[in-house]
Amino acid sequence: MAGKIILQSNDNASIEIDRDVAERSLLIKNMLEDLGDIDEPIPIANVNEAVLRKVVEWCEHHRADPPASENDDTDARKRSTDIDEWDQKFMQVDQEMLFEIILAANYLDIKPLLDVGCKTVANMIKGKSPEEIRKTFNIQNDFTPEEEEQIRRENEWAEDR
Amino acid sequence: LAEILNLCDSQQLSFVLNYVSPRLKKDPFTSLPNELCLRVLSFIDDPKTLARASQVSKHWHALLSDDLTWKKLCEKHSYRRLSGTFKSWQYGSMFGGSSKFTSGFNSEISPPATKSKRPKATSYKSHFKQRYMVETAWRTGGKAIAIHETPDQGVVTSLHLTPDYIVIALDNAKIHVFDSEGNILRTLAGHVMGVWAMVPWGKTLVSGGCDRDVRVWDMESGECKRILRGHTSTVRCLKMSDHKTAVSGSRDTTLRIWDIEEGVCKNVLVGHQASVRCLEIHGDLVVSGSYDTTARVWSISQGTCLRTLSGHFSQIYAIAFDGVRIATGSLDTSVRIWDPQTGHCQAVLQGHTSLVGQLQMRGSTLVTGGSDGSVRVWSLEKNSCIHRLAAHDNSVTSLQFDDTRIVSGGSDGRVKVWDLRTGLLVRELSSPAQAVWRVAFEDEKAVILASRSERTTMEVYSFSPPPE
Repeated sequence: MAGKIILQSNDNASIEIDRDVAERSLLIKNMLEDLGDIDEPIPIANVNEAVLRKVVEWCEHHRADPPASENDDTDARKRSTDIDEWDQKFMQVDQEMLFEIILAANYLDIKPLLDVGCKTVANMIKGKSPEEIRKTFNIQNDFTPEEEEQIRRENEWAEDR
Repeated sequence: LAEILNLCDSQQLSFVLNYVSPRLKKDPFTSLPNELCLRVLSFIDDPKTLARASQVSKHWHALLSDDLTWKKLCEKHSYRRLSGTFKSWQYGSMFGGSSKFTSGFNSEISPPATKSKRPKATSYKSHFKQRYMVETAWRTGGKAIAIHETPDQGVVTSLHLTPDYIVIALDNAKIHVFDSEGNILRTLAGHVMGVWAMVPWGKTLVSGGCDRDVRVWDMESGECKRILRGHTSTVRCLKMSDHKTAVSGSRDTTLRIWDIEEGVCKNVLVGHQASVRCLEIHGDLVVSGSYDTTARVWSISQGTCLRTLSGHFSQIYAIAFDGVRIATGSLDTSVRIWDPQTGHCQAVLQGHTSLVGQLQMRGSTLVTGGSDGSVRVWSLEKNSCIHRLAAHDNSVTSLQFDDTRIVSGGSDGRVKVWDLRTGLLVRELSSPAQAVWRVAFEDEKAVILASRSERTTMEVYSFSPPPE
């Protein structure tokens, strides 16, 4: 049961990991269940080596976590926006990498990692003004001044509390 | 590259920093597919952040118009579902204005800015916005849309809000009918002594009091349609089970079941040994609380007593019944929970230090108010007290709660709004009066009946958002 699995990134790097670590990914877990024991590397078509190594690092750290519950829309997931300390450190990467990790977690079906990633982005948005958000993500303001004023007025209701 | 950077001075380095750092930044909402963007947004439950985010760029604005995000937010804030949320108010516009200053009222009515029917919210975003604005108004805003100083010095014995009317009954025999915005429509005159109980049903009102009569009124015309005689002492409580069946409880120890259309007494329920103080109806069952310390369960159709609930040591003043449980409040300071099927006492809730005269039950939540001035929130799943609110210096005279808030009125003249979940005081409503007789509220409205300067006053507060 504690066999080894080889994952192959889309830039042809091979990463050997324990099977239970790999099974944090429901995509891989289901694949292994269908295929039985295999020796060949499993190609991970959408993920490059750097990102895959990060994802594996996360899976190694969280290998002993209880499996994600079937019902992933539980209130607990929604309510808690806090991220544990190790995960916070883990997510201190540049934005490109952060978004790549989110995409990889989504593709590999690793819900807890996906949530940590989404929460990290959500926390970067929270409490900021529109201009601060633009600065944070280097976004061009593509509204005309008239449009901007109109949208500001549309949203005034949320400001007065 | 590192070697080049090593050769740079700090000015050059800061140039590099400014040059490089924006390039390391990326718009998450163009990098990620929409489903993941919405997942990110689902972790934000602060509408202010969402509203601000929608002002970032056209792309963000479009994403934030996605109704799923707002639907989830509605759920998180436990705002009710979109369908059927907004009642289409029918205004008694035919009567408003013309009869405003009848019967000696001194009234201030705000111009009817919200007369036009508010358009139904068509999206979760606009729904959320409306609910949020109402909630904000409940916390910090709201305005008095009508203030009446009645010519009466009477005690307000009863207050009802219906979709069309605000109705109040007084111990001076009068019943005043207002439209839903607080414009006086008419006074129902006929009772010769204090009115102590009344119940509205559509346009019909049934009332009773010290003169022992039960009267049936048409609130639209003001006509008294029936006078039902039979009780031999004060009528103390009244409820209706359908459009033609009213049940009254009296100090003569009996309950009577009336067909108000035929104008006949269908049954007299005999059994209590003292005054019947309170009653509640669910389906075919009536439960009554009496000064004889017992409560009884009766069948309306059979006209018989099914069970007697014994256990209280003193008079019962308040009762609630939802078909599943019966709750009774007593002068013995306890609240008891009963099984209506077996008549067994399931729990005795202790904590109040004086008469428990106010009681409301919703699902598994019970809220009680007492002459000790405290309001208590109980869980009927655990039969334990969740919150104890030091609400009023004196008796709690009036109490109501819904999914989010409790509104209490006290003989200390204060009206207080509480957060049901946390048990914390949200605000005081209106200015302190001599005494608050009755308070009632709906989603976007609260009505306060209080004594000010020896006069009975009615204030109608609105928490509706201004028209767009």
